[in-house]
Amino acid sequence: MIKHIFILIWNKKGANALLLLEVLLAFIVLFAVLSFVFYNTDRLSDPLGFETENRKYISYGDLDNFNDSTRILVLEELKRSLLDLELVEEVSFGNDVGPFKSSNWCHGNDDLGFDISACYSVVEYDFIKTNGMNIVEGRDFTEHDLNATYQLMIGNQTFIEETFGEKNMIDSIIPFQGAETKIIGIMDEYKYNGEFEESANRVLLLSNPEFNGYARMTNAYLKMDPSADVAYEEKISYMVESTLKTSSYVIQDAPLLRKRSNLENWIPIVALLGMCVFLCLNVALGLFGVLSYSINRRKAEVGLRRAIGAHAGSIIQQFTFEVLFLAGLAVLFGAFFAVQIPIMNVMDVDSSVFYRGILYATLIVLVVVTICALYPSIQASRIHPAIALHED
Amino acid sequence: MIKLQNVNKVYRTKTIETTALSDINLNIDKGEFLSIMGPSGCGKSTLLNIIGLLDEPSGGEVNIGGNALPNYNTKAMAQFRNQQLGFIFQSFHLIPDLTVRDNVELPLLYRKVGGKDRKRMAEEALESVGLKNRVSHFPNQLSGGQKQRVAIARAIVGNPEIILADEPTGNLDSVMGNEVMDILLELNSKNDTTIVMVTHDENMAKKTHKLIRLYDGQQVA
Repeated sequence: MIKHIFILIWNKKGANALLLLEVLLAFIVLFAVLSFVFYNTDRLSDPLGFETENRKYISYGDLDNFNDSTRILVLEELKRSLLDLELVEEVSFGNDVGPFKSSNWCHGNDDLGFDISACYSVVEYDFIKTNGMNIVEGRDFTEHDLNATYQLMIGNQTFIEETFGEKNMIDSIIPFQGAETKIIGIMDEYKYNGEFEESANRVLLLSNPEFNGYARMTNAYLKMDPSADVAYEEKISYMVESTLKTSSYVIQDAPLLRKRSNLENWIPIVALLGMCVFLCLNVALGLFGVLSYSINRRKAEVGLRRAIGAHAGSIIQQFTFEVLFLAGLAVLFGAFFAVQIPIMNVMDVDSSVFYRGILYATLIVLVVVTICALYPSIQASRIHPAIALHED
Repeated sequence: MIKLQNVNKVYRTKTIETTALSDINLNIDKGEFLSIMGPSGCGKSTLLNIIGLLDEPSGGEVNIGGNALPNYNTKAMAQFRNQQLGFIFQSFHLIPDLTVRDNVELPLLYRKVGGKDRKRMAEEALESVGLKNRVSHFPNQLSGGQKQRVAIARAIVGNPEIILADEPTGNLDSVMGNEVMDILLELNSKNDTTIVMVTHDENMAKKTHKLIRLYDGQQVA
């Protein structure tokens, strides 16, 4: 019977080619969208690396109204004033590269036989504590480190593993941004561009004018008491304005920034998934229409088959198998091309993303096609043979 | 072989009730060639469908090959049609996307006959109707007479005991019609196959053993 159905399909290859193409295109679109979704949602499972709850960020820019030496004194005064506020628990400074700043400073060289490349933030010694970051090995910066003879660095696990492998790098000296740099600790993660950011090489450099004086401390990071409400920002604002003698600053709520950053990533995902649902509906309706029309045209054939011995079940089997075979062939073609992406390493993305894309696209296509094929096939099986034979 | 007692067939819609057959009594013996005649709409095809287990009577008793119709469920009826009956239709009902051989093999597919045996049996059936050289042709490459001969080959390929022919010469000219009729007569005489044929053609009907006439669903002769 299977051979007989193959013959039927082959002899109608002209008409079947369009159906095959429709399913193939649907498969490719589904594969692309699902791979994109998996690529993004996979990254949600990696930790962000810092806390946002009860955190506020103040951006005040370069403070060009002060010279270099005064600027340091002003920032020290700002820190003291903010810490004097009842509901401010911690204050730390950092450069332009920080949580949700959409800014990157990156370094790359291949000194000492290692390809050392990482994006870095220049921060004050209490940055890790203020932002609730997690040191997994080594130690945090301390106030005493300001007198260190090396530039001090804390790298994330990805940086250490990808650059040095299994080697213990704590207290090792490496060249970084033109200065001898000592790795003093390893933090678990630092995805400062948000939860959807891929885990990449990230390091923190301790702010020290001797090694990285170019990096101005343009942002203040605050850890607040949980009871501090939005109205409390007024007090902070007054303090910042009176200390920095400028009104060019922004106070931002970290949870809000995080939410906004997530939303920016969820919107295209949801939009694409919505488009996929419409695509599946369109394909389903198209298939349903084509199959209903096709089966209607084959009423006499149904009548004949019933007359010569086919029962209702074999009619359903035949029509469903015909469509599923075509859909399977389309999926096979699609999967053949799709699988080339991970095999040939076309994109620098974990290959399991594409394999899952292929698997789920296949399942969705086959489920949609089966549903669309079953109903017209059941209708065909219910055609009364005497009436069907008489209609032709 | 085929016994019908007081068979009625009534088609009902919400508003109209149409009697297609009324009190039909029929006894067809094995090896008999019966023709059914009558004007259009008199119930000839309905009667043939009931004999062929394609339709159920509204009343009366149908007994085919010793089995009463109520003893069959739909699957058993399908199996019975496959193994005991052969159908020939006025409009041939060949599947246009299958070759002549594949069309003839169809009943054997539902009998789960193996591929090699199917091919051999189909070619034998085609040889018996003089079409062995057309096995790879498609129906649209054949004349009307050839199409009907393919349909006959399909009807006889499983060696059925009964052949039901619904106006087999209706779409053919007289020469081709006579050719088809000769094949049916040969089948009947050589293989002792019981044949029930619906026809409008008096000359064809005269060649058969027995003739019944229907008028407005009633047996008049």
